[in-house]
Amino acid sequence: MAALLRGLRAGRALRGLSSVVAAPTTTNPQCGSLRRGFHCAVLRLQDESKSDKPPSSTSSSTTYHEHYQAHSAEQDAAASASDPAADQSTDPNASYQDQSGEQDEEYETEEQLQARILTAALEFVPLHGWSMEAIAAGAESLGLSSASTGMFEKGSGDLVLHFIAQCNAQLTEILAEQHNQVQLGQAEPKKTADFIRDAVETRLRMYIPYIEIWPQAMSLLLLPHNIPDSLKHLSTLMDDIWYYAGDRSTDMNWYTKRAALTGIYNTTELVMIQDSSPDFQDTWTFLDNRIQDVVNMATTAKQVQSTGEAVVQGLMGAAVTLKNLTGLNQRR
Amino acid sequence: MQTAALRVFCHWSQSNSTAMIRQCLKCRALTLQQSSRAYGVIPPPRDSEEKEMVHRMLRVDHAGEYGANRIYAGQMAVLGRSKTGPFIQEMWDQEKKHLEKFNEILAENRVRPTALLPFWNIAGFVLGASSALLGKEGAMACTVAVEESITEHYNNQIRTLMEKDPERYTELLQVIKEFRDDEMEHHDTGLEHDAENVPGYWLLKNAIQLGCKAAIYISQRI
Repeated sequence: MAALLRGLRAGRALRGLSSVVAAPTTTNPQCGSLRRGFHCAVLRLQDESKSDKPPSSTSSSTTYHEHYQAHSAEQDAAASASDPAADQSTDPNASYQDQSGEQDEEYETEEQLQARILTAALEFVPLHGWSMEAIAAGAESLGLSSASTGMFEKGSGDLVLHFIAQCNAQLTEILAEQHNQVQLGQAEPKKTADFIRDAVETRLRMYIPYIEIWPQAMSLLLLPHNIPDSLKHLSTLMDDIWYYAGDRSTDMNWYTKRAALTGIYNTTELVMIQDSSPDFQDTWTFLDNRIQDVVNMATTAKQVQSTGEAVVQGLMGAAVTLKNLTGLNQRR
Repeated sequence: MQTAALRVFCHWSQSNSTAMIRQCLKCRALTLQQSSRAYGVIPPPRDSEEKEMVHRMLRVDHAGEYGANRIYAGQMAVLGRSKTGPFIQEMWDQEKKHLEKFNEILAENRVRPTALLPFWNIAGFVLGASSALLGKEGAMACTVAVEESITEHYNNQIRTLMEKDPERYTELLQVIKEFRDDEMEHHDTGLEHDAENVPGYWLLKNAIQLGCKAAIYISQRI
């Protein structure tokens, strides 16, 4: 009987391992083994807390050892898929139903797990600020161990960047929806200045729940290791807003428009964090004024250009007249 | 144009049933989200690597056509009223069409144009004008050199795309092949019009080609 059980367990382990080899990789192949280790530790602790077994030191060390062996065997295997297989091969109480159930539940990528933790952590930000405590609290609220904060290399910068990415995605959704409405003829197309103003206001309003602690987030984004990502998010945001505003330029205007909008957005953000007027009225007034400035500048630039062209035409006319008068304008 | 057609269709079908409207909305939403699918020139990118590669190719092609446009403008400014004027004008018109096509593709696929456009603007005009000041042969030699560089560049791109996946990039390959054939025609026109008779032909040609290679290299990155 015991031999039969052992045989079944071995067969299950082999099947689990083979399915891991055959399964398509879903995890980012660049994730380090350390992060994978943390991920597995998180899942195992979650696993153990679920099955209500007191984790004995010997069993956890053997599972960790087997986990290392499993990982050295297949470098590219999905980490989450291999864990249930490793866990079930040593868990004496696992049944066939448990195996398939757990594999469905825990089959998510590391990015998805991180995203879940960070989203949950956002609730604790007003309490703990943009810090590892908030991330730990978020992890615990999901039933995971607070040690999972080790997954986040950039620390609280990761939390801020995740929040910003989330806000940008929300804004893109809203803008795409508006675009659809206009295409369907259900809404009137807005003038560019109004569209820009509404887009920036919508985006900045997403900061209102966290406005007290937003200065901390802004300073976190200025740390050297966070700057590349925050600049990338900012440039994608500006590109998205201009695209939905209808900009299809393929010359220097592409750059000048986005640079102007970045200036408007950043200065308005700075005004917002120290604005105490009701519903941030002062901020929106400031935004209106800045957009008006840019519109005026564009109009002035156009006027200067057309004036310049007219002057050049006049000069050319004068030159041709002179050449005619002096007889130099003859075809040779 | 396809969105206008869809809108007409939807207004017509609005009188018929709401289910068809929902279908319209879905397909319009789809076409808006992935407007480069059925009628676009490049397929929606599978990952950021592919997107980077395709965008880089389109960026440098756009910069090339823009530069060629300015070179012909410079040549016309000097030789516009001479005998070769009409030939240069004809080649210039074809380059204008190329540039228009690339503007369309860039706008549709949200590709960033190269930041060096003002520089190519001036450099191209100066190159065209100064080569034209060497006379008709000089202008033709410049044309031959530039068109040869561009042809080689397009051939490299065609080779890269064919190696990767010719079926996936059929439309893009078609566009590039068509433009490459036009450029080769310009090259032959230049040779027909005594390009090789300019003094220092070999030096001029190689100097210009070196400049073109540098321009292509930079525009791919910036």
